[in-house]
Order: sequence, then C-alpha cells, then structure tokens
Amino acid sequence: MAKKPTLDLTKYVRFYEQMVYIREFEELIGKEWNNAAAHGMGGYMHLYSGEEAIAVGLIGGMDLSAGDCFIGHYRDHGYALAAGSDPGEVMAEICGKATGCSKGKGGSMHICDAARGFYGGYGIVGGNVPIALGLGWALKYRNQKNVCACFFGDGSMNQGAFHETLNMAQLYKVPVIFALENNGYAMGTSIDRSHANQDLRSRVDSFAMRSVTINGQDIFEVHEQMAQIIQEMKEDPHPVFVEFKTYRYHGHGAADTPVTQSTYRTRDEVARAKEEKDPIKFAQAKLIEAGVLTNELVADIQARAYASAEAAMKFSDESPYPDPSELIKDVYA
Amino acid sequence: MARLRYADAISSALREEMLADDRVFIAGEEVGQYLGTLGVTSGFLKEFGPMRVVDTPISEVGILGLGIGSAMAGLRPVCEMMRMDFAMVAYDQVINHAAKIRYMFGGQFKVPMVIRGPSGVGRQLSAQHSQSLEVLFAHVPGLKVVVPATPADMKGLLKTAMRDENPVIVMEALRLYFEKPDVLDAILPGLSEVPDDPDFTVPFGQANVLRAGTDVTLIGYSTMTIQCLKAANILAQEGISAEVVDLRTLLPLDMATPIASIKKTHRAVVVQEQWGLYGCAAEISAQIAERAFHDLDAPVQRVTGAFVPMPYARNLENISFPSEHDIVIAAKRTLGR
Repeated sequence: MAKKPTLDLTKYVRFYEQMVYIREFEELIGKEWNNAAAHGMGGYMHLYSGEEAIAVGLIGGMDLSAGDCFIGHYRDHGYALAAGSDPGEVMAEICGKATGCSKGKGGSMHICDAARGFYGGYGIVGGNVPIALGLGWALKYRNQKNVCACFFGDGSMNQGAFHETLNMAQLYKVPVIFALENNGYAMGTSIDRSHANQDLRSRVDSFAMRSVTINGQDIFEVHEQMAQIIQEMKEDPHPVFVEFKTYRYHGHGAADTPVTQSTYRTRDEVARAKEEKDPIKFAQAKLIEAGVLTNELVADIQARAYASAEAAMKFSDESPYPDPSELIKDVYA
Repeated sequence: MARLRYADAISSALREEMLADDRVFIAGEEVGQYLGTLGVTSGFLKEFGPMRVVDTPISEVGILGLGIGSAMAGLRPVCEMMRMDFAMVAYDQVINHAAKIRYMFGGQFKVPMVIRGPSGVGRQLSAQHSQSLEVLFAHVPGLKVVVPATPADMKGLLKTAMRDENPVIVMEALRLYFEKPDVLDAILPGLSEVPDDPDFTVPFGQANVLRAGTDVTLIGYSTMTIQCLKAANILAQEGISAEVVDLRTLLPLDMATPIASIKKTHRAVVVQEQWGLYGCAAEISAQIAERAFHDLDAPVQRVTGAFVPMPYARNLENISFPSEHDIVIAAKRTLGR
C-alpha cells in the first residue's frame, strides 16, 4: 500500500461499498442458480467474487466520463457494476431479458455499457486483448489524454493473440493498461501446469514494456498505484502491463462444481483464501482501524448491497424476454 | 471515364476515401515504407503520414484487433492482408469478434472496418498463397463479402465498403490486379472503364448483367466473371447467346438478378474459382432450385476448381481452376449439345 499523506479515505469507503455491492450481486446469482431457469439464467456463469478490488480500484482510477475506457472478458459483471452501470440492466442481461444491457442477446459473458466506456465482455480467452490495441490506438490517433484498460486472465497469456498485441502496443506506444487478473487457474489448469515460466510478469519483459505487480486483494494498493500509473500514461502515452495477484472463490463457471473443482484445488485452499486474502475483509479492517468505517456502517452497507442485488433480480424477473422479432435485429448496423 | 487496371482502381478508391475522411487509416504489412507489397499504397505514407498508413509487424491477429477496436471507437480502419490466405491466422478476430460485436452487445457498438487483400489464384504461388476463401466469410452473419470483377466495380465497391458501418471483407482478384486495360476491353468493350466522379460508388447486393443473352445464363464473380465473358465470346461464335451475370457481392447476395435472367434463358451455369464442395455455387444453385425450378429447361451446372490444394507446376495450376473452355462445355451441356 502506497502510504500517501493525502489518502482519501472517503473514497475508499465508497470503493468498499462498491466491492460489497459486487459481492452481494454475484452471491445472489450463485444462490439463485438453483432456480436458474425460472430467472432465465443459463449457459455459463462466471462469478467475480474474490477479485473485486481489481475492478473497483482500477476502474475507479479512470475518468470514464472524460473518455477513459475499458474492455473485459467473460467474468464481466463486476466491471459494469464498478463503472456504475445499472445493476438491473446487468442482471436482466444475465437473465436474457429484453431490458438487459445487450437486449438479452449477449448474456452473462457479454455485458457492456457504451455510455460508460465499457467495450464489453468477450468469451474467447485472449480474444479481447487485440481489440484493446485498437481502442488504445483510437485514443492516440485523436491525441486524447485518455487510457484504455484491458482485463484478462492468466489463461490469456498462453494465446498468440496476447503476444502479438503486446508487441504492437509497445511498438506504437498506445495508452493501454494490460491488466492481468492472475487468479492461479485457467479454468482447471493451474499456472504450474500451463506456463513454462511461472513468473508471469517476466514473460512480458521481452517486449520491453513497463510492468508492475500489485496485490489484487488490496484495494488501497490497487487504486493508489493505478491512479499514479494512469496519470503518467496520460502525460506520456505508453502501455503498461500489470499483474494483479488474486483468487476466485467460485468455480471457473457454474459448470465447474465442487466435484470438478476437486480435480484442481482443495476446499481448504479456497477456505484459506477467503479467510486470509479477502479484499472486502481487508479493506473493512483497514477502514475501521482508520476510523472512517464502523460496524454499524458495515451492516448498513451489507444490507443495502443485498437489497440492491435483490432489486436488480426483481427488475429482471419482472422484465419480458426479447420479442421474437428481435431475433434478426442488430446483425448489421 | 478513365481506363484503369484493377490494382489502380484499388489505389484510387483508398486514396479518395482517405482524402475525404480523416477517420480512415490503413494498417498492414509493408503498406507504408515498402510502398505496398503489390504497390496499391505506393506514396501513401508520404502523403498521409505514419498514423494513417501504419506499417505493422507480421501479426495478423494484432492487425485485425487494431482494426476492430479502433472501429468500435469511431475510426474507419482498412486492414490489409498481404494475402487473404493470411487472414486465416486471425480468423478468430473476424468470425468470433468482428462479426459478433454488433449482435451480442445488442446494437450498442458498430464495427465499420474493411479487411481487404488479394485473393485467389495468381501465378505459381502454390498451396498457401492461391486460395479463394470467400465462402468461409460469406457463411457468417454480421459480415459483408465483396468480390469485384471489373476495375469499376473494384473501385466502386471498395468505396462503398469504406463507407459501410459494418465489417466488410473485400476479396480482390489477384489474377486481375495487373491485367492491362487493352486486354480487358478486348474481352468486352469498355470493361476497363471507371467513372471519374469521386462520388462514384457501387451499392452492395446488386448483381450486374455484364452481357445480355438469350440461351443460357453464366453466373460468376471475381476472376470467374471474366472467364464467363471469355466463354460467352466463344459461345457466340458457335451461335449460342450467353448472358453473363456478375454477382459483385456474395453477402449480401442478390439472387433476383440471376433469377430474372434464368426466367429468360431457362438455363444456368454457376462458376466459382474455389472448391465446389459446399461452395458458393452450391448455395446459388440451391436458391435457383428453390425459386426458379419450373423455369429451368436443364439442370443447373456448376463449374468449380479442382478439389486439391493449389499445385505449383504451371501446367497443373492451369487445369486446377475453371477455364473459359470448361464453362463453354457446361453451357453446351445445358443446351443438350
């Protein structure tokens, strides 16, 4: 944690609240998965629990209303909520409803919010990374003092697309933050079974790109470091590779059950991570210690976050499915 | 009217659109300092600078990602594939991304980009540099696929592609790139002529009757349209009047024009350069069967490339794709001759 004398603790209470909102949103989906069909949920469902500090701290460091933007992958609910997207529209998309942010045509993996600079979640591992190059290129092309963040996981780093992109991004000095969410597993394949060099940050040294490693469970470290980096990128456009060390609590997706998870990690490992590395508990303790958060406020935030998730689900449940006429719309602009 | 080579028509369209719209930029391998692999962007780097004429590494995935992202953000990228075969390296970006973004985000984004490059048989370029892979794109909703045969269509369709709001694949016929205007005009008078008007464009989804006839309809696109015209000349010498329909775009596909022709001639030959199995000619033949079965006096004939990787040896290459004589034989077959 960068100890800056001007640490704005009020801001961190807001970040704490956002993290709790994302957690409650995701946990409600997890809970309601038993009634998935009744809500309209299906397919895959990749939950962000455990990784909240990255989206909140990084997106919270960008100025979305002034042209900063970002692009994600399929574990994308948290990005939208961190950017301030309407939770009801996100939930409705997850449930395939007409009121969803993508009109129910994209689903959980394809949340987006053009008005907030969220260029969407993508389902092909590593496939979103080259698109970030283009988003960054457009910023540079127009001489905008903006940055683009690209979220991806450790699995993406074994795609050729990743390496082509980082080479070109450094070559052209585009203002893109390549934000690796290293949660240790590409679906069920651990780092040590998939990366010949397990020091993932060092894999980008070959591109001569600026890089940094950040504890992704520490919202203070995430945000303070990213705010500084973003400021420097705006003064002098260049790409940055950031390795966020993190952990996901749920399976890769809904199909990754406790049984399938047992093939690659133990229950103890998950329990230990929740106990020792939880980004919400960490922030909560720090903020209570600093005197800006109380147990009463914690309970209040928790209750409001749960109510918000419930309200989002209610909005979705009361929303219609897309009209059949929507089937053939939006194929072409 | 200017008499242009096909390659000159490409240059002309690119340059005019770059002058007209500063959101347009070109990215690709050797497009700038090297003056273009086939010369179509010669002088562009000097004229437009390195932000608008972007030399890239040999990284097709990166090139197309650069295009998709910048198109989503409001620019109008033209991504050059040195050969369209190389687009296969980045097929994921085209099929899983460019073609899907509009739909899967419920219309929140558009991807106004052009992916263009030479396609099809050249001269002894063998298996990995001679393919006509348009059907791999024309199968996919969300894309548009352009297959020009004449210099005028090359220019007019490319300009339309650059003004379109969607990802457009422009398959340029390598075999026609440097065909001299005199040679083209000898096949059909005026074939090399391109209007001077900078606002000249050719709309998508409108096939063109290049030569009127009454006995049989020859349907082609790209290089095969020229083969059809040559075949029509031979057939005319034998007293057979062939109508030649040039499809111009495969997606959108105009079937009204070829079917109107078939209602007149009652016979059809569909010609494509690439492999016949599951190919464009199969689709067109099926649509003719569905929509004009009772107008036909003979089964629709397909003339397609040999189902082999392109060989290197010149004699083998020459017999691997449809010749005008193959088309003549097929046309006569529909006439029972």
